[in-house]
Amino acid sequence: MSTLHNPRRAWLLVTRRELVSRITDRTFLVGTVLMVAMLVGFIGFTAWQDERTDRAVLGATPDAVEMARAITDAAPQVDDKLAVRMVELDDESAARAALEDDEVDAWLHPVDGGWVLTSESSEQDALTAAARVVVRQVVVAGNAASAGTTIETLEAGSAVTTDFLRGDAERAAVAEAVGFVFVFLFYLAALVFGMQLASSVIEEKQSRIVEIIAAAIPLRHLLAGKVLGNTALALLQLLVYLVVGLVGLSFTSYRSYVPELSGPAVWFLAFFLAGFIALACLWAVAGSLASRTEDLQATSTPLTMLMLVMFFGGVSLDGRGQVVASFVPPVSAVVMPKRILAGGVEWWEPLLALGLLAAFALATVWIGERLYRRALLQTGGRVSLRQAWSAAE
Amino acid sequence: MLEIRELTRRFGDHTAVDRVSFEVPDGLMTGFVGANGAGKTTTMRMVMGVLGIDGGEVLWHGRPITRLDRRAFGYMPEERGLYPKQPVLDQLVYLAQLKGMARAAARARVLELLERFGLADRARDHVEKLSLGNQQRAQIIASVLPTPAALVLDEPFSGLDPVAVDSMVDLLREHTREGVPVLFSSHQLDLVERVCDRLVVLARGRCVAAGTVTELRETGVPRFRLVVGGDAGWVRDQRGLAVLDLDGSTALVEVREPGAEQHVLAEATRRGDVHEFVRVRPALSEIYREATA
Repeated sequence: MSTLHNPRRAWLLVTRRELVSRITDRTFLVGTVLMVAMLVGFIGFTAWQDERTDRAVLGATPDAVEMARAITDAAPQVDDKLAVRMVELDDESAARAALEDDEVDAWLHPVDGGWVLTSESSEQDALTAAARVVVRQVVVAGNAASAGTTIETLEAGSAVTTDFLRGDAERAAVAEAVGFVFVFLFYLAALVFGMQLASSVIEEKQSRIVEIIAAAIPLRHLLAGKVLGNTALALLQLLVYLVVGLVGLSFTSYRSYVPELSGPAVWFLAFFLAGFIALACLWAVAGSLASRTEDLQATSTPLTMLMLVMFFGGVSLDGRGQVVASFVPPVSAVVMPKRILAGGVEWWEPLLALGLLAAFALATVWIGERLYRRALLQTGGRVSLRQAWSAAE
Repeated sequence: MLEIRELTRRFGDHTAVDRVSFEVPDGLMTGFVGANGAGKTTTMRMVMGVLGIDGGEVLWHGRPITRLDRRAFGYMPEERGLYPKQPVLDQLVYLAQLKGMARAAARARVLELLERFGLADRARDHVEKLSLGNQQRAQIIASVLPTPAALVLDEPFSGLDPVAVDSMVDLLREHTREGVPVLFSSHQLDLVERVCDRLVVLARGRCVAAGTVTELRETGVPRFRLVVGGDAGWVRDQRGLAVLDLDGSTALVEVREPGAEQHVLAEATRRGDVHEFVRVRPALSEIYREATA
């Protein structure tokens, strides 16, 4: 018939159907929005925690007023997130009453050979730390004056500054945390989208709509369309999370890390793409081996095991093990981005790992296509891998 | 014309379809009957190319069928369904597009067919919200998209109410009038007898009978019923006949030697009154039972 198009574009039709039917699916939308809300909430909380100032009220009996005033004045220089206000108290009993009524957070008073800061419990860490520093400064300055010298003379040559060969601790901690987020996002996306892909394959098989489709287009177009559609969706969702995460981060005190994280994030997307295509093909095979949704548990077990290995490998491997794993597909999909984050990776290492992962993806596409094609049209019960591989078409 | 030649399919040691040959002529409805497990579905899946062929071939217009030929066929699988969570209109347009129709044309055609099957107001509903009968109607629409070159339908009438059966038959007739060959399987013999032009009977993977309904009823040993004025017991002594049933003045005989029925008639007229002498053609269900026994 002359009005009919060439079937070469069939995979595109399938891809579009996958995209449209998922994007209009409420579960998918609600899930994505919820995840973004959680992300924003978490970052917002961190930022708030970060920026907020501790306000403390320091009570002082007449003999301590002078010292308390010194603390109040000097506190912001000691701790930039601490603001101290002083309240004068008549005597000890008034001070104790004020503490119990929560009118003051701590009460400062002198004793023989020192000062005491009394509070209800040990929650006033910032105030205590500031009081220690200030009291010491004031007392030492007094002592130095009576000895005929100055603080500066006493402290000369005693400063220790720090210098690190391999980055600083905060940077390493940030790399570790973001690395965990990468591994987790990969795991989550591969599991959620993989399961969805497998169940949609079963849905088609169970409803026999796959027979109508098989009579119309080659099955590899159906597989390609499903894998591409789901990959595009997963990538899109991931992109949203990453952008929200990075933009959110720029509102916190970690904003200086954002430019540094953007490069690894792009690498992560590339590794995710190759790794996800490979896994998506395997998920489609797991679906095609099952005849009913109930079978999926069994046919997908090897795959869920693999995902767990990837997750724990990604989270826990370090040292030489991490270096080796960063080249072994599909684990390399999560381990290499983590290494890139930590730094100290030669320029060719990510390229080699990505090349190997892409080769692995091609192999799974080839093997997966054969298994999928043969298992998909077999009805009645579960199909074993061996049956699917050797079955006549 | 669709020709099935020596088609064979084995599942392990079991031969599900064993050298089955028959034809589905242009413009005719060919009914495909047989017990459960006789191999109807397996044969139809091989014709549609969704199941591999172990032996034999399928010819379309006299040459081996190709994937592109099949793409223009309308097919309705057994135990079917559609995507449960997609609107009816969307997925019918999708299926039509997979078969090569342009989007706009597919949409127009689907809307026209939905209208015709009384589903126009349900076009945006998810398939799972439709009643089983309406889901079946949507299936039928899926199978006649775009304009099929041939129709291969596995149990198209199962689950349909009589009104829906009629509109389905009308739709199929429309296609046969255009010269489209139609092959459909069914368990409802009365329906098959009423609707189809030709019949193929399958039993245990083999084709045991094929032809028009009249042809099939004419084949086999001729039988006659004789009703005479007196007692008909004398027919027992006639040569070249087997008496199947005898009840007073009525006898049912089977002709074993050609011409024996003429001698019986002559003898009956000689003996007295003949009230009835008629050829008995077996009902389709009888042919079916005998063929598949």
